[in-house]
Amino acid sequence: MYKKISILLKTLVLPAAVMLVTGTLGVGTWAQAATQSGNKIEKLTPSMSYAEYQKRYEKYYGDFTAQMAEEGNPAEFLLDDGKDLANKVVGSKGKSCASCHGKDALQLKGAATTFPKYNAELKGIMTFPLQINTCREKQMGAKPLKYESYDQLALTMYIKSLSNGMPIKVSIDGPARPFYEKGQVAYYKRQGQLNFSCAICHVQYAGYKARSNLISNNKHHADHWPCYRLKWGKTGSLQRRFRGCLKNMRAKKPPFQSEELRNMELYLTYLNNGDLIQVPGMRM
Amino acid sequence: MPQGIGKIKIRLPRTVRKGQVIAVKTLILHPMETGLRTDKKTKKKIPAYYINDVSIYYGGQLITHEDWTIAVSANPFMSFYLKADKEAPLKIVWKDNKGGVYQKTVQITPR
Repeated sequence: MYKKISILLKTLVLPAAVMLVTGTLGVGTWAQAATQSGNKIEKLTPSMSYAEYQKRYEKYYGDFTAQMAEEGNPAEFLLDDGKDLANKVVGSKGKSCASCHGKDALQLKGAATTFPKYNAELKGIMTFPLQINTCREKQMGAKPLKYESYDQLALTMYIKSLSNGMPIKVSIDGPARPFYEKGQVAYYKRQGQLNFSCAICHVQYAGYKARSNLISNNKHHADHWPCYRLKWGKTGSLQRRFRGCLKNMRAKKPPFQSEELRNMELYLTYLNNGDLIQVPGMRM
Repeated sequence: MPQGIGKIKIRLPRTVRKGQVIAVKTLILHPMETGLRTDKKTKKKIPAYYINDVSIYYGGQLITHEDWTIAVSANPFMSFYLKADKEAPLKIVWKDNKGGVYQKTVQITPR
């Protein structure tokens, strides 16, 4: 049914579109939209080197981040709760995280460095919060935790903080490769009313200002989540940040742990390979 | 209601000498609702819920008292300087407008 309608629409719409393009109405915008909607990756040249960006950052914000670190991170309160949750028995099988992964789930040290990665059962990319929830459902027989809820963030933060100080090493070889490419396309795809892509700001215009903020370079973007943001007054995940950015672009927001966001997370984390994990982070 | 309200962290220098002026840094988890915001779903005002009274005791003696208003941010950070001239407990008490009392005591031992 759907296929028939789509074929019918194509037969009707295509000539109309051609007429529009060739006609006098809105030639430029139609042509632009046609070139950008494909899977092509736009060629963008970075505005400045990373060293130059850091110089600008220091000039603009000074020792603001050092001051923030001195005041203390409110997200650290969640760490203790996360430790309790890792030892708490829940679900029908009478298990906790600690019953498989050792006391305080300490055997999971370094587990967060390889996420997100390909999962054969899911036939897609497995992110760290999704892994915790599938583990809860399959191994413990417990309910999955709601994304962005207090318990979910606390547990994710605690288990991720065990691999603090270790470099991220995400692999995109083998079956993960097509998902990486999808993520890259999503990163470079122009979308929303403002016709922006992620890369426009974070590759081409990194180091310039948007209103009163310095646009950040895409290094160190994926190493500190879940993170406390002063703007939110709360702790949030990387995918919440993605959705916030998409909202600013006036684009469609995919739901948490949807395929689009997971692919994008893989792409961004791969760009940050080698950065040291620092959880919980604190940002403006 | 957000979880974890009233969790407190107090930080002191590692070593304290007698008579030294030390910086005490405190952090408390609290939503600090102003009472001016509206809930986007129900279109009703979110009731005010904030810390309005902070008092600091050193050795059982009140040394500072502060009145806070809705202008203070969520999860407020507070730091102050203290002359550590005796071995005594430092007690800090936060009170909010709904009757919640949160307190923590740390021992100051000057060498």
